[in-house]
Amino acid sequence: MKRSQLWLTLITVFLIIASVWYLYPSLSLWSLSDTEKALLKEKDPSKLLSLEQRGIKLGLDLKGGMHVVLQVDKTKLKPEESKDAVERALEIIRNRIDQFGVAEPLIQKQGEDRIIVELPGLQDVERAQNLIGQTAQLEFRLLETPENTKTVMAKIDEVLTPKKTEVETSKGKDTTQEKKIAKDLFSKEVIDTTVQEEEAGVTDKPFTSLLELSGSDFFLVALEDKPKIGQYLKDPKIWEQIPEDDTLAWATGAEPYKGVDYQKLYLIKKKAELSGKYLTDAREDFDQYRRPEVRFTMTKEGGRRFAQLTGANIDKPLGIVLDGRVESAPIIRAKIRESGVIEMGSGATIESARDLAVVLRAGALPAPVKIIENRVVGPSLGQDSINKGVKAAIIGIGAVLLLMGIYYRLSGIIADFAMILNLVYLLAALAGLHATLTLPGIAGIILTMGMSVDSNVLIFERIREELRTGKTIRASIDAGYKKALLTIIDSHVTTLITAAVLFQFGTGPIKGFAVTLSLGVIISLFTAVVVTRLVFNLRKNYQTLSI
Amino acid sequence: MMEILKKTNINFVGMRYYAFLFSGILATLGIIAFVFIFMGKANLGIDFAGGTMIQGSFEKPMSIGQIRNALGRNGYGNAEITELKAREVPYFFMIRLKSTAETGSKVSNEVLDVLKKEFPDNNFRKDSVDEVGPAVGKILQQQARLAVLIALAGILVYIWIRFDFRFGVAATIATFHDVLAVLGIMFILHKEITLLIVTALLTLAGYSLTDTVVVYDRIRENLKVFRKKGDFAGTINASINEILNRTLMTGGTTLLAVLSVFIFAGEVVHDFALALILGILVGTYSSWFVAAPIVLEWEKWSPKRFK
Repeated sequence: MKRSQLWLTLITVFLIIASVWYLYPSLSLWSLSDTEKALLKEKDPSKLLSLEQRGIKLGLDLKGGMHVVLQVDKTKLKPEESKDAVERALEIIRNRIDQFGVAEPLIQKQGEDRIIVELPGLQDVERAQNLIGQTAQLEFRLLETPENTKTVMAKIDEVLTPKKTEVETSKGKDTTQEKKIAKDLFSKEVIDTTVQEEEAGVTDKPFTSLLELSGSDFFLVALEDKPKIGQYLKDPKIWEQIPEDDTLAWATGAEPYKGVDYQKLYLIKKKAELSGKYLTDAREDFDQYRRPEVRFTMTKEGGRRFAQLTGANIDKPLGIVLDGRVESAPIIRAKIRESGVIEMGSGATIESARDLAVVLRAGALPAPVKIIENRVVGPSLGQDSINKGVKAAIIGIGAVLLLMGIYYRLSGIIADFAMILNLVYLLAALAGLHATLTLPGIAGIILTMGMSVDSNVLIFERIREELRTGKTIRASIDAGYKKALLTIIDSHVTTLITAAVLFQFGTGPIKGFAVTLSLGVIISLFTAVVVTRLVFNLRKNYQTLSI
Repeated sequence: MMEILKKTNINFVGMRYYAFLFSGILATLGIIAFVFIFMGKANLGIDFAGGTMIQGSFEKPMSIGQIRNALGRNGYGNAEITELKAREVPYFFMIRLKSTAETGSKVSNEVLDVLKKEFPDNNFRKDSVDEVGPAVGKILQQQARLAVLIALAGILVYIWIRFDFRFGVAATIATFHDVLAVLGIMFILHKEITLLIVTALLTLAGYSLTDTVVVYDRIRENLKVFRKKGDFAGTINASINEILNRTLMTGGTTLLAVLSVFIFAGEVVHDFALALILGILVGTYSSWFVAAPIVLEWEKWSPKRFK
């Protein structure tokens, strides 16, 4: 065997093994009956989940999914903005879902101000809800200076001190709160040293005692104290102490600190220096300590403003605020122009960074949306239609196999082998890429199978032509492959161009179609040209050729 | 050796004027359909036009198939039916149908009547009726149109580089012709234009192009004969005849595959399969009678030595 052939054989075998690996979860999942599935769900839910995640994803029509109804809150919009607010929200949500990687979703306007989103076979419901529901109103705001912050806090404590008993009596009805108060009162004796300091100040510093000043620009609030702070913040007297152009804003998530989960609280300017509308791109990344972060770039205009802002505020923190919550507040070290970084905090995962990047890239929703309904939906086709689809696939592919075998005899069977391999590779690739299979997708695959024999038909017809000119069988095979190859490549490249463009510019189902089309083209090129050739080369000397 | 056809000598280019007339009619039909679609006056599916959504529940077990059949018998075969898995109410269904703002309430009343009539002993309780917008919005449609135009431009450039500028233009025209022809036929048959049909049109564009490129490739190879004899029409005819067996075989296998979808896969993909069948037929026809003869006509008007 020649060296190149050895390599091609190895690649073929390797691809078969890889395909089995990728298809195994789907096969073992499909071989389970409903009762077996229910049993496994009880016994080992994580195994079932893992099988489902690695298996071929089925679309809404075949498997159903999640049905979410969103309500667009237009109350705060001006009349001219609210006119097409739902339409814009629709497109932005579609964009986000596409980038999130859910193929074949259904997104539809319902009535006046609602949006239906149906996501096929989704596992992480909460993450999807975050992604769909975020307004993604990104702002860059300056923080209040540390001195002013301290002054404000001191003032808040002052107004609260005489009122403290009153506030706590009003909450006294709640038994858990009573316990909390008791704990506060006797804290000196019971509480461990780390929190002693803040608890000790309870009597004269009711507000700041709940805060731990870390650094100079934010406070840490233990999660268990958050409701209490919230209660205080309902008091308008507190807001009177806060300068008119400032506001208090929570950080996005909680972080552990000395064994307790804390959420950051910032005193931040109300006015946004710069908004996210200048953003052109956002990508997830890791910083030098392997912590996830989001890098963004801005338009020229945005870059100019950003440079002005950062240039004038070196060594001060800049609050990056998303939907009114502080995503991060890095210290400006130098003048920054078009690009910047959003730090994600220590508790973040790369997925959360990716989701944030997606939400920022897709743009902000014109108005807040609220999830008002969230249900599981069954397959929209019904079992009878699915069975029909599978039957059609088996008959269609079987008919093509038969025709090739009859017409080209043994060579036809070699082509059949290539076609089956093509089918296996294609399904494995779909599983590996987490593409979503729908009934039209199945129809498309059947069609692809019908077309995939084209390369072999071209080659075989060529071989026949060469044989008619009186060449030897070996020479005819070689010439047939050689002469047909250019034609095959030309026809494949044109299809691939179409698929690439549809993938780049299409969305939703068009994109899914492009993925299947391009995979089918590339794989059929390999199986029809390389694999069949390998089979023909198994024999050295041909006396006869069954073609 | 089994052969569909022995050596043939069909005069394909001789029939080109009849073909041009026929193609002209098909393409005009397609353009009319396209204009109607653009104006929103064609039979657009719920994907593009929006419609009505009815939610409600049955008292007794009911399958999607049963509902689909019942609606189908009464002219609502295109309804999209989904079962909502709600804990409180079993057999809770969502039925989406296409309708316009004017026909919305009429359609929903009719469907409710049909359900009452077809299932007299299984009461359907209406929960809500809502107007739903298109699943494929305006922006999405614009993007898709842009994508198709860029793809065609890309193909034109590729064939221009690999063959010749005229071949590139002719292939693009032939592809356009095929898509328009199938669109036109579907329009005449009053088939609903859905996202599935659009996908079918894109697929057949790919198929027809492959077919055209295979014909071109053979013509290019035979151009040395042309240089010797100077008979361009004869060269084209010979080329098409030489690969006739291949074309029939490929067309045959693909047609078989799609026919099985058409016959066995059920109502949901019926029109999709029909569009593909038409596409295979028109695509094969156009690679013989449109793609190559255009180059021939061009050559007659402005002769050019082929390299």
